Amino acid sequence: MTTPTQEMPRSTAGLYRYHDVIGLLSAGGPGFSGPVSLALGPDGLLYVASRANPNQPEAVRVTRCTRDGDYVDQFGHWGEEPGQFTWVTAIAFNRLGELFLSDEHTNRISVFDTQGRFLRYFDPPGGAEFQLNRPSDIAFDMQDNLYVVDSLNHRVRVYDQHGQSLAGWGGYGGGEGQFSFPWGVALDAGGNVFVTDWRNDRVQKFTADGKFLLSFGSPGEGPGQFNRPTGITVDADGDVYVCDWMNDRVQVFDSRGGYKDSLIGHSGVSRWARTFLDANPDIEEKLELATQNIELKQRFYRPRSVLVDEDGLVYVADCYRHRVQIYAKLAA
Amino acid sequence: MATTDKALMAHLLRRAGFGATFGELEHYCRQGYAATVEYLLHPEEQPGIDEDFIERYYIDWKESRNIEGALTETVFRFNANAASRPLQEKIALFWHGVFATGLAKVLHEKTMLNQMDAFRSYGLGSFRDLLVQLARDPAMIFWLDNNFNHRDSINENWGRELLELFTMGVGMDGQPNYTEEDVQEVARAFTGWTIDDDNTASIPYGKVPWRFRYRPEDHDDGAKTVLGETGNFDGEDVIDIICKQPSTARFISRHLYNFFVADDVQVPAWQDTPAADPEAIRLLEEEYFRSNYDIRSMLRALFNSDFFKSEDVRFARVKSPAEVVVGTLHLLGDFKFPKVGIFDAALECRYMNQDLLNPPSVEGWHTGREWIDSGSMVERINFVADQVGNPDQPGIRAILDTLLESGPTISPDALVDGCLELLGCVRLEPENRQQLVAQIVRGGEVRTDGPGHRRAAEEAILRALKMIGSTREYQFA
Repeated sequence: MTTPTQEMPRSTAGLYRYHDVIGLLSAGGPGFSGPVSLALGPDGLLYVASRANPNQPEAVRVTRCTRDGDYVDQFGHWGEEPGQFTWVTAIAFNRLGELFLSDEHTNRISVFDTQGRFLRYFDPPGGAEFQLNRPSDIAFDMQDNLYVVDSLNHRVRVYDQHGQSLAGWGGYGGGEGQFSFPWGVALDAGGNVFVTDWRNDRVQKFTADGKFLLSFGSPGEGPGQFNRPTGITVDADGDVYVCDWMNDRVQVFDSRGGYKDSLIGHSGVSRWARTFLDANPDIEEKLELATQNIELKQRFYRPRSVLVDEDGLVYVADCYRHRVQIYAKLAA
Repeated sequence: MATTDKALMAHLLRRAGFGATFGELEHYCRQGYAATVEYLLHPEEQPGIDEDFIERYYIDWKESRNIEGALTETVFRFNANAASRPLQEKIALFWHGVFATGLAKVLHEKTMLNQMDAFRSYGLGSFRDLLVQLARDPAMIFWLDNNFNHRDSINENWGRELLELFTMGVGMDGQPNYTEEDVQEVARAFTGWTIDDDNTASIPYGKVPWRFRYRPEDHDDGAKTVLGETGNFDGEDVIDIICKQPSTARFISRHLYNFFVADDVQVPAWQDTPAADPEAIRLLEEEYFRSNYDIRSMLRALFNSDFFKSEDVRFARVKSPAEVVVGTLHLLGDFKFPKVGIFDAALECRYMNQDLLNPPSVEGWHTGREWIDSGSMVERINFVADQVGNPDQPGIRAILDTLLESGPTISPDALVDGCLELLGCVRLEPENRQQLVAQIVRGGEVRTDGPGHRRAAEEAILRALKMIGSTREYQFA
C-alpha cells in the first residue's frame, strides 16, 4: 500500500490516488499505439501490448518498460508468420516466465520468452469445433492452467499447460453461464473465474470448472452499471477491477460484486510526453487552447486492460490515449 | 404492390445504393417498387452499424490518425450499410462529391469523418439545414479558410465557393448568377464562424476532433447587400437568400440528375450547356421549391419518374471507383463484420483515381468517362475479376451453389444468363453476351452431377463471373 499525499487527485470514492502515467503515442520506441493489454514480467518489468492498425504495421508490438516509466525495449512484428501478430488482444505470463499472446486475427496464441523470442504456439488439440474464434483475453491460474475467452464462440475454454482441454463453458445468450461476445477473464486467489460479458454489460463469476456463482452489473452509466466491460483483474484483497470501456472508467467491486469506487483518469504529462512537448512548444500551445483539454489530458478514453501489482499500484491501459495511467490503492 | 421487374429494381438499387444481391432483389421485388423507394428514403428507420463492434475491432478508428485509416473507415461504412441503409451512404458519397473537402489540407481525419457523418444525418433533409451544417463544419471552415475570415479582414474563399460550387453555380442559361460584390458580402456575413483550434498533432495523446465556434466579437454585423437583398445578415440569413434562388434549384437538380440518373457534362460547363433532359430538371426544380428545399422529396420524385425508370438511362453512368469497390464488396457479402483486410480493399478506390476524403480540388472529382484512363481501367477490371472469381467469398459461394443446383447440366446460354442475373441483373450488349457464351461453349458441356463434374462446372462459372466482371457493362451503373 502507498501512503496518501494531498497533492494527487483521488478516485470517485477516495479509495485510490492518482500516482503516475507512462506513455505517449508512438509507432516505436518510448510510447504506445493503442495499448490493449498489460502484464508484469518475472523480470519486474511492465509489458504493454500495442494493437495499432494494419496501415501502421510497424507500431504493432510489445513494449517493455520499468514501472516508473523507463523504456527498455520492444519486440514483435505485424504479420501472420510464426512469431508475428496482427490483432493482438491480450498478453499474460505463466509461472515459467513465458509470455502468452493472443491474436484474434490468426486465432492463435503465441508463446515468447522475456526477450521477445518466439518459442512456439500454444496449440490445443481438437477438431474444427475446438477452433478458437477471436480469443480476446487470456489468464493463468496458480497451476498454470490457461483460461481463454473464445469470444465469437461465446465460451470460456480452459487448458492445462500441455494444451489438454480441462473445461469449457458458455454459449450465446443472456442467461446464467451464457455470454454475448465476452471479452475479459481474471482469477482470484481462490481460483474463481470472473468474465466480462461484453454485450450483456455484466460480469459473471464462476468456479474454476465453470459452475455459475453470481453475476453483477447491468447496462447503464450509473455506479455498478456497464457499457461494454472489457479488461478485468482481481487484487490481493479480492477486489475486482473492471474496465467499463464505453463509460470511460474503471470500476472497483468487492468479491461479491458490491460497488466500491470508480477511477476516471487523472493523467498528468508523462515523462516521455514531456520530452516531446519540450521539443515542440507549438504543439503544447495548441493543446492548451483546445477546449476539450481536460478530457484530452486527463481522462480515460476507452480503458482496455487493468492489473494490480504487489504494492497495490493499479495500472490501466488507456487505449485511445496511448498511455498507462497508474493509481495507488490507499490503506484502509 | 409486388413487381416482377427485377431489372428495374436492380437499376434503382445501383443508383440509390451500391447495388443489390439477387436475394435482396427478390426481397425488394416482393415489396414492390414504390415501397422500396420509401424504404430507401428513410434509412433512419432501419438498423445501423453496431458501433461497439467497430470500436472493439478497429480500435484506431475512434480517433483516426491517418488518411488511409479514414479512407478505410469510409469504405467500411459504405459497405456495412449497403443492405440496410444504402441511400444514407449513397447520399453521403453524393454530398462529399459536391462539397468536396480534402485531407490534403485539413490533415485531421476524424474531423473529415465527422463531416461525412453530417452528410449521413442531414443529406436527405432540408438543403437549407444541410448548408447551415456545412457552414459550421470544422473541416469545411478550415478547408476554405473561414477561420481566417475576420470582421476587419475578410477572406472570400468560403463565400465564393458557397456561391460558385456549392449552391448556385457561376451562371445559368448563359447568364452570371452573382457578382463579385455578392461574394464579398457573403464573406462578411460569415465572419466570426470559426473553429476552436486547428491542432493536427496526434502526439502525445492522439487527435481530438475540431469543433465549431462562433465568435460574436469577430462578426461583422453591419448592413450587407446579397443577391439584391439588404439587411444585417449573418450566415444563416445568407443561406436563406441563396436557397430561394432559381439558380440554386437548377444547380442541385443537375447535380442529382448527374449522380442518380445519367452522366452530364462537367459542372463548370453547366453555365452554357443545357441539361440533357430539361424536362427532368424542371420537374426536380419544381419539387425543390414545392417541398421547401427537401432533398428526400426531390429524390422521391426522381426515383418514381419515368425518366429515371427509362431503359435509356440504365447503365448510362460510369460507376465511380467507390461504386465499383463497394458494390463488389457488397455483392461478395464481405466485410459486413469487422475483420482484417478492409484496408487493402479500400485502397482500391485510390488506385482507381478516387481517393475518398481527399478529392483533387474543391471542385471535386470529374465524373462520367473522366473516371476512366488506361491505368484505372486495369485496376477496375483486375479488382472485380479477382473478387468475383473467389469461391470462398460468401456471395460468390451462393451464386455457385444456386447454379450448381439448377440441374444436371447447364447450357452455355443458361450459365452466362444465370451469372448475369445473379450478379445483380447485369445486362450485356448482345455481341458481348454472345462472346461470353462462345467462351463457355469452347470449354465443353457443363455438367453438375458428380464431384468431378461439379469442380469443372464451378471453374466454368467462376470463369464466366470473371469475364462478366471484366466487361464494359459491369463498369456502368
